[in-house]
Amino acid sequence: MSDEHRGPELVRDDALTAALRAIYQKPTGEAYWAGLERRINDRIDEAETWWTVPDGWTKVGLAAAAAVLLVAGGLYARAQARLDRTLAYEAIVEVEGLESALAQREPLSQEQATLRKLTGHQ
Amino acid sequence: MERVTSAVLQVGKAGAQQAAGTSRWIVTDRPANERELVLAAQRGRREAFSELVRMHERRAYAVARAIVANHEDAEDAVQDAFLHAYRALERFLPDQAFGAWLHRIVANAALDITRRRKVRDTDELPETVASPFRDPAEGDELRSRLTAALNTLSERQRAVIVLHDVEGFKHSEIGKILNIPEGTARSDLHYARTHLRGVLGDIRSEL
Repeated sequence: MSDEHRGPELVRDDALTAALRAIYQKPTGEAYWAGLERRINDRIDEAETWWTVPDGWTKVGLAAAAAVLLVAGGLYARAQARLDRTLAYEAIVEVEGLESALAQREPLSQEQATLRKLTGHQ
Repeated sequence: MERVTSAVLQVGKAGAQQAAGTSRWIVTDRPANERELVLAAQRGRREAFSELVRMHERRAYAVARAIVANHEDAEDAVQDAFLHAYRALERFLPDQAFGAWLHRIVANAALDITRRRKVRDTDELPETVASPFRDPAEGDELRSRLTAALNTLSERQRAVIVLHDVEGFKHSEIGKILNIPEGTARSDLHYARTHLRGVLGDIRSEL
């Protein structure tokens, strides 16, 4: 190889290469490779079976998902409406409570009463 | 090179075409056929992909074996890699070299197994870390000591020297497979050879 002609350290050592080849020897025999090929193909078949959904089931799955989305959407809308009503009620109760507390604390002067009447705050 | 495969594939000059009215496919010219096989596999022909498996499994095993610690892990890496390749096949551009693409996937699968093995060994079997290359069939002193010396190299250095000196890959190919610059592959090879040659010299002088 051309990249081997760069100095003694980069020259392939035949003894080392032979020893490495002995350690990293590939399995021999066609039967082994045929077996590996079969296992690879079986693995792909298995994965395909797992991933592939029959056409009929795809439609059923899509319909079920749409139904679930509709129900979830309806439930969310109802919950949101209930929450809005609760918040509105609590806002009214809080304002009324505050006003009655103020009213009990001290009577309004004539000027304050007139001002409240003009600004619309009862 | 002409042969009829067990997957009954026929691929001629006109490409990976199934003979009219039959289910027989014949492989006549591997380099030209590979692209056709890839195209056929991309069109969903499982037997075309099986032929690609048959064509590339040995080389794929060699790439995996250069990276992982033992034969069993290499087998697992090859199986994982072909499954990944099958799933990613539609993204592969047929004008590229299928082998180079596959080898990169194999290397990733092998590195993934090596990482998982490291975590598992650290958690469960600390004693196996010291000698992941242990092989019951190893008989002679030279082999077992060289095996131990290989274990003192980094994973990348070990993979580089095996891919280059045992499997005959070029530096540029190794760079692509391991996702490292070609210069790094070159310097890793230099270091690994120098280191192992030193170990081998010591063993020879002792034996």
